[in-house]
Amino acid sequence: MTVERLADFLSNTNPGFFILAAALLVPLARDVVTRAIVMVGGPVVALVALINAEGLGMNLSTVQVLGLDLVLYRPDSLSFVFGLAFIIAAAIMGVYSLHRRDALQDSTAMIYAGAAVTAVFVGDLVSLFMAWELTAIASVFQVLAPRTRESGRAAMRYLFFQVASGMCVLAGVCLYAAAEGKTAFSQIAPSMAGLPVGVMDIGAPGAVLLLAGFGIKAAFPMVHNWLQDAYPKTTETGAVVLSAFTTKLAVYALARYFAGLDALIWIGAIMTVFPVFFAVIENDLRKVLAYSLNNQVGFMVCAVGIGTQLAVNGAAAHAFAHIMYKALLFMSMGAVLYRTGTTKASELGGLHRTMPWTTLFCLVGAASISALPLFSGFAAKSMVMSASHADPALFVVWLMLLFASAGVLEHSGIKVPFFAFFSHDSGKRPQEAPFNMLLAMGMAAALCILIGVAPGALYQFLPYQDSAIDYLATELWTTGHVLQQLQLLVLAAFAFMLLQWRQLYPAEQPGVIIDVEWIWRKGAPTLGDWLSRPLRRAGRGLAGLADGIGAGMAGAARQVFAPGGWVAAKVPSSGTAVLGLVILGIVLAIALFS
Amino acid sequence: MSDEPEHPQLGEVGEHPLSVLLFSWMRTKLFRNVMFIGLGALGAMLIGFEMVLAFQPIKDVTSVPGFYGIFGFLAFGLAVLSGWPLGKLLRRPEDYYEKRSGEAGRDR
Repeated sequence: MTVERLADFLSNTNPGFFILAAALLVPLARDVVTRAIVMVGGPVVALVALINAEGLGMNLSTVQVLGLDLVLYRPDSLSFVFGLAFIIAAAIMGVYSLHRRDALQDSTAMIYAGAAVTAVFVGDLVSLFMAWELTAIASVFQVLAPRTRESGRAAMRYLFFQVASGMCVLAGVCLYAAAEGKTAFSQIAPSMAGLPVGVMDIGAPGAVLLLAGFGIKAAFPMVHNWLQDAYPKTTETGAVVLSAFTTKLAVYALARYFAGLDALIWIGAIMTVFPVFFAVIENDLRKVLAYSLNNQVGFMVCAVGIGTQLAVNGAAAHAFAHIMYKALLFMSMGAVLYRTGTTKASELGGLHRTMPWTTLFCLVGAASISALPLFSGFAAKSMVMSASHADPALFVVWLMLLFASAGVLEHSGIKVPFFAFFSHDSGKRPQEAPFNMLLAMGMAAALCILIGVAPGALYQFLPYQDSAIDYLATELWTTGHVLQQLQLLVLAAFAFMLLQWRQLYPAEQPGVIIDVEWIWRKGAPTLGDWLSRPLRRAGRGLAGLADGIGAGMAGAARQVFAPGGWVAAKVPSSGTAVLGLVILGIVLAIALFS
Repeated sequence: MSDEPEHPQLGEVGEHPLSVLLFSWMRTKLFRNVMFIGLGALGAMLIGFEMVLAFQPIKDVTSVPGFYGIFGFLAFGLAVLSGWPLGKLLRRPEDYYEKRSGEAGRDR
């Protein structure tokens, strides 16, 4: 293959395919160097392919299968920023996983990452569905990875929701394709400022099913609990991998097909608020981060619903920044889990003494998610806040987002680092995290700071670049904006100190917090048990009756035919012989004439 | 937090040097007191700065100087204090689901 053909191949191939190809090589890589080359090399090749894409907004690779035109590669400025974030996350996770060898988990993690990258770059609904399902199936292996009974059960519940999401998407695609005869999103009107964003009308055939499928994967309220159920039960690396792709892929799909849908504004706003209350009382710090993930995705969903150029930029920027800082926070808790065997706040504390690098990186993640100026969250979340504040009709929504901003400082900005690394001394003196973990955390932390200090580095990749640059020049760094954000954070932190001092901050206690999953984990089995009780009682009654009849017949038979029974006593033995001969004769007659 | 000494030694045997450098001074009560007073003072200063450096005509409640700070303080307090009743309402023993779910399919 000549250099030109290789370059042509790279620039016209969906970058996700390179990660998928690398995933197949992972089980063959025995030593750590080879594994590093494969697990980081795959995303690096994908990154090179993406940067050298033939062009944006064009179908670069198409194929016809069973009469369907599949658009395998169609990058544009919306998919670019999501794809870029996924590829960087895949590379960082490759580094983070190097300390231990689990070929199944590592290769499925790469398949999962590759499928997510593929999904954002395909240009039609059928291809999206296929990549969507591949992410679902590959990600289940992350939940199964600890190979415990608890994780196995959680994996089955996780799989149920992922399959339900896939079925909704499939049904939606079939209905839409049957009615409209087209599946490529570039053919579905309308486009916003030349970019196919929010292309589907909610009244279109199958659109509601598509929305439901995307919504399950985005962990909409009432179908959110698969996230808090599964993520804390996986391995130290599994939670990091899971946190990056599934929900953000759903945000991408929502932006692509349903940007500007009013219902999403309120769904997103509710998503930002309710997890705050659960995170406050949750003891497992990885579960706290899972609730925090819900809360952050809520900001993105809300922005997608607002649907203006600034809001779509905000959703994309927030998704990018969130992938980095949430991965960083999950990585720091993964390091704690790896070294201490737990992430329960009630069993931790004082770990900064022997894990200072992990502590430092966790604090960078905490500052980023709290949107402290000069950290990535500030550059990203500000756009969503500004987009909601710009519309007076969304005042209540804006207040909800502002409340959630204070809430996220509480659970991810303060609670996670404070209870793991500071607070009371648990007496645990674990080793610092392995070098590869620290390196991966360092990479993510560097990105968090880079985006915070130089937001233009991220803004240049946003879907509406002009709008983003204008926001950077006129709003982001204004004195009023920075002072207001600092006020919010500083006085919220002051409230924390005050509540600690007055001993009003609830102590961390062991236990599980019941959420909507109670319905299917406890309520449904209890209801089923209660409903089936009369039937079981009737069954037991019938069984008793049958037993009684059977026992009565057996007793009667014994009385008649037993050695000391009625026949033996009353009927002469010659009569018995004659009766036997008669029966034998009847049997022979039947055999002869049948 | 009250079981910690008034003036603990900086660092301890086996402690990571980076931890000694970055965090050991945070363990004193003095630090906590300074932090508490400092945060309150900084918050008040930020509100003052807003009034001086970024004053804008008051159109609605959000343009009142200090709105963000007061909202952040109250929102944080509400979120944390709600943990008391919610914890009582929603917290269950660690084996709440697993014990039950194992029994759910049995014919009792």
